[in-house]
Amino acid sequence: MSAVLQNLVNQPYKHGFVTEIESDIAPKGLNEEIIRLISSKKNEPEWLLAFRLQAYEKWLSMSEPQWQNVNYPKIDYQSISYYSAPKPKKKLASMDEVDPELLRTFEKLGVPMHERAALAGVAVDVIFDSVSVATTYKEKLAEVGIIFCSISEAVQTHPELIKKYLGTVVPVGDNFYAALNSAVFTDGSFCFIPKGVKCPMDLSTYFRINTEESGQFERTLIIAEEGASVSYLEGCTAPKFDTNQLHAAVVELIALDNAEIKYSTVQNWYAGDEKGVGGIYNFVTKRGLAKGVNSRISWTQVETGAAITWKYPSCILRGENSVGEFYSVAVTNNYQQADTGTKMIHIGRNTRSTIISKSISAGYSNSSYRGLVRIAPTAENARNYSQCDSMLIGDQCGANTFPYIQVNNNSAKVEHEASTSKIGEDQLFYFFQRGIGAEEAVSMIINGFCKEVFQQLPMEFAVEATKLLSFKLEGSVG
Amino acid sequence: MSTATSNSYLDNLLQSWQRPPASSWLDQLRANAMDSVGTLRMPSTQDEEWRFTDISPLSRLPYPVAHAAPKVQLSDIKHCYLEEASCRLVFVDGQFVPELSNIADNASAIIGNLSSLLPTGDTIARYLGQLAEFQNDVFTALNTAFLRDSACIIIPKNKSVTTPIHLLFISKQTEVTSYPRCLLIAEAGSNATIIEDYITTEEAPYVTNSVVEMSLANTAHVNHIRVQRDNQQAFHIGNCTVSLAHASQYHSVSITLGAYISRYNLNVILSGEGAECAADGLVLISGRQLADTHTFIDHAKPHGKSRQLHKCIVDGMAHGVFNGKIMVRPHAQLTDSTQLSRNLLLTNKARIDTKPQLEIFADDVKCAHGATVGQLDKEEIFYLKSRGLSELTARNLLTYAFGGEVIDRIPISSLKRQLEEIVLARTQIS
Repeated sequence: MSAVLQNLVNQPYKHGFVTEIESDIAPKGLNEEIIRLISSKKNEPEWLLAFRLQAYEKWLSMSEPQWQNVNYPKIDYQSISYYSAPKPKKKLASMDEVDPELLRTFEKLGVPMHERAALAGVAVDVIFDSVSVATTYKEKLAEVGIIFCSISEAVQTHPELIKKYLGTVVPVGDNFYAALNSAVFTDGSFCFIPKGVKCPMDLSTYFRINTEESGQFERTLIIAEEGASVSYLEGCTAPKFDTNQLHAAVVELIALDNAEIKYSTVQNWYAGDEKGVGGIYNFVTKRGLAKGVNSRISWTQVETGAAITWKYPSCILRGENSVGEFYSVAVTNNYQQADTGTKMIHIGRNTRSTIISKSISAGYSNSSYRGLVRIAPTAENARNYSQCDSMLIGDQCGANTFPYIQVNNNSAKVEHEASTSKIGEDQLFYFFQRGIGAEEAVSMIINGFCKEVFQQLPMEFAVEATKLLSFKLEGSVG
Repeated sequence: MSTATSNSYLDNLLQSWQRPPASSWLDQLRANAMDSVGTLRMPSTQDEEWRFTDISPLSRLPYPVAHAAPKVQLSDIKHCYLEEASCRLVFVDGQFVPELSNIADNASAIIGNLSSLLPTGDTIARYLGQLAEFQNDVFTALNTAFLRDSACIIIPKNKSVTTPIHLLFISKQTEVTSYPRCLLIAEAGSNATIIEDYITTEEAPYVTNSVVEMSLANTAHVNHIRVQRDNQQAFHIGNCTVSLAHASQYHSVSITLGAYISRYNLNVILSGEGAECAADGLVLISGRQLADTHTFIDHAKPHGKSRQLHKCIVDGMAHGVFNGKIMVRPHAQLTDSTQLSRNLLLTNKARIDTKPQLEIFADDVKCAHGATVGQLDKEEIFYLKSRGLSELTARNLLTYAFGGEVIDRIPISSLKRQLEEIVLARTQIS
C-alpha cells in the first residue's frame, strides 16, 4: 500500500461519553432470583415469568457456541448486571418531564426527541441501558391503529399480542444468546401495524448502553398484519469503557399476507480503542418470518461499531411468493472482529431472496461473511442471488467468505458470487490527476463500493452511514 | 453416530495391527501413525468438516485389512488400460502386482513399488508421510499405520517423462479395507503426467482409504488425473496433499463416478513464489450415492495463481457435497485466484450442499469465487428444440456438455474417450 493510503482510520469515537444519571442497578449475577426480580420490577404477568424461567432452564443446559470465526476471552455471565434503569422512574406524561440530563445525552447523540423532531418526521423510541425512556409520536400513530411503544408497556397494555407472538420466530431455546435474552430481557420496542395500514412515518429505536458492567438485552417484536407495511430504523451507541460489555438482543419480525417490513440498522457501538481494549460484544439474533403470501422482509445493516459483531439477520420465507432481502455493509478497523451474514430459508413456492454484502477491513481487523441459503424440498421455483464483496485496506487485516448453499429442489436457481479487492493505486492516481485529494478519493471509492446497500437506507440514515464510514476510515488510508 | 460404534470400528482395526519392532524409519512411521489413531476418533456430522457426509454406515462395517492379493485376470481389467501409458503400476487391494505392471526401462524416471525402491537411497525416507499429516486425520493415520506397498515415482532434475504414468488400483476382494498409497517427487524442472485410477471387478461393498503425496520442486510441472470408478456399494476415502515450490505448476482433474459414499480431500499448498495450480473436478452421481469433495488451496507465498472449476451432476436421490476453501496467507500478495462451483440437479430428489470459502489475509490480491445450483436452462433447451432436436435429445446433449467441459481438460485422449463414453451412457435418459 502506498504512503498515501496509510493514514486515514482513527477518528475518536464521538459517542464515548458517560451520562451521570443515577441508575437503579440489579446486583451482578444471574440466577432465578434475578429473573424473578426483573419480572416483578416490570410488574409482569405470570405467563411471562414462566417464559423467562423456561428460557433460563434451557440456557443452563446449553453451552457457548464455538464455531464462529472470532476470538474473545471467556465471558463471565455472573459478573454482569442484568438490570439497569435510569432513576427516577415514574410514569412520564410528556417529553418535558424526561430527565434533562438524559435529554442532553440524546441531544449530543443527535437523536431527535423533541417536537422539533417533527422536521425529521421519525417516531422514536429511546432505550437507555435496559429501559425504554421515551417514545415520540405515539398519539399520531395510534390514530391509524398502529401500536408503537416499549415492549414492557405493551406487556401491560396488549398482553394478548405479546403472548401470541413472542418467541414464535426465535424460540426460547434457539441458541445460547437467544435463550439468555429470553430469560433476562428488560425492554425493547414493540410495533404492531394492523391490517391494511401503511405506516405514515419511519419508526425508529435508539439504543444506548450507559452503565459499565451492565449488559443490554433488549427484545424487539414487529408484527405487520395483512397488507400492512412499515419501515423501521435502529441506531446504537455506547460510552467508552475499558471493559467489554455484552449486548445480546433478539429481534423478531412477522409479516402476514401481503405485508412488508423493512428493518434498517446503523450500529455504532463503542468498538474499543486502537489496541483493541474495551468495546461491545454484539451477539444478536435477528430473524423475520415471511409467513403470508406475497410478504416481504428486508434487512439493511451498516455495522461499523462493536469490538465483536456476530449476527445473522435471517428470513424464513414460508409464504408463497414471499421475498427476503439482506443488504449489509460491515466496516472493521483496529482489532474489531465481525462475523456476520444472513440466512435465507426458502420453504414456500416461488420464494425469492437477494443478498448483497459488502465488507471493508482495515488495521488488524477481521471480517467474515457467513451466509446460508437453504432451499427446502417444498420450495418450487425458488430463486436466490448472493453477492459478497470484500475490500481490504492494509496487509494486516483479513476478509473471509463462508457461504453455505444447500439445495433440495431442482427447480430452484441459486447463484453466489464473491470477490475481494483493494483500493487500487491506479484508481487513486485517476482521482489525483483530476485534482481530488487522497482522503476524498478514498471516501468516494468506498461510497461507490457500498452504494447498492446505502440506496436501501432511508435518507437520513444513508447520510449518517456515509458520514460514519468516512470517520471510521479516516487515517487508515493515506 | 454413537461414539461406541465409531470406537469399535477403530478398535477392530487396532487389534488387527501388530506393532513392528521399530527397527527402521518405516516401522517408526507406522508406529507413530498408529499412536495417532489411538488419539483420534471417527468424524461425525457434528464436525464442521463432515457436516453433510454421514459416514456412520462405514463405521458399522468392521472390514479387515486386505492382505494377500488375489489373482486378477488380465481380461477383466484390460479395458481400463490406456494406450498412451507405457508405464503402468497395478495394485490389487492395495498390494503391488508386478505381473500386471509394466515398468518399462524408463531412463527418465525412477518408478516402482516402495519395497523395491527403498534400497536406492534416502529420498523416499525424506518425503514419505511428510506431506500427508496423520496427526489430525484419522483416515490418513490409518493408511499410514497399515502402509505396506506404495507407488513411488521420482522424476529427477530437468527430466521429462513424456508418456503418462498409469497407477491402476483394483478392488478385487469384497468386505475388506485396502490402503492404496502413492508418493511422487518431482525434482526441479521435471515434467510428468500421473493417472490415479480406481476400478473394481466386483459388485459388493468394500472400503478404499487412499493417500497420495506429491512434492513439486522449483519449476516442476505435474498433471494429475484422478478417476474414481468404484461400484455403487463401495466406500471411498481419498486424501491427496500437494506441495508446490517456486514457479512449479500442478494441474489436476478429478472425476468421481462411483462409490456409495465417497470423500476426496485435495490439499494444495503453494509454498513457493509464483506457483500455479489448477484443480478441476467433475462429480457424476445417481441413485443413493453421496460424493463429497473438499479442496483446500493454500496460497502461502506471493504471486501464486490458482483456478478451480468444480461441477456436480446429481441424479436420482443422490447427494453432492462440495467445500472449496481458498486461503491467502498474510504477505501472499499478488495472488490471483478464481473458483467456480457449478451444480446441476436432474431430479427433485437430488441434493446439493456447496460451500466455496475464501479466507484472505493480504490486501493486494485478486480473488473471486462463484457458485450456481440449478437445472438445465430453459432457454438453452428451447434453442436446441428450435434447431429440430427433441426435448429429450436437447436435455441429454446439454447434460453431457455440462460434464464435458471438465473432461475436456484431461490431456490424454484415450482416457478422455473412456470417460466420455461413461458420461454419455450415464446422462442418456431414453
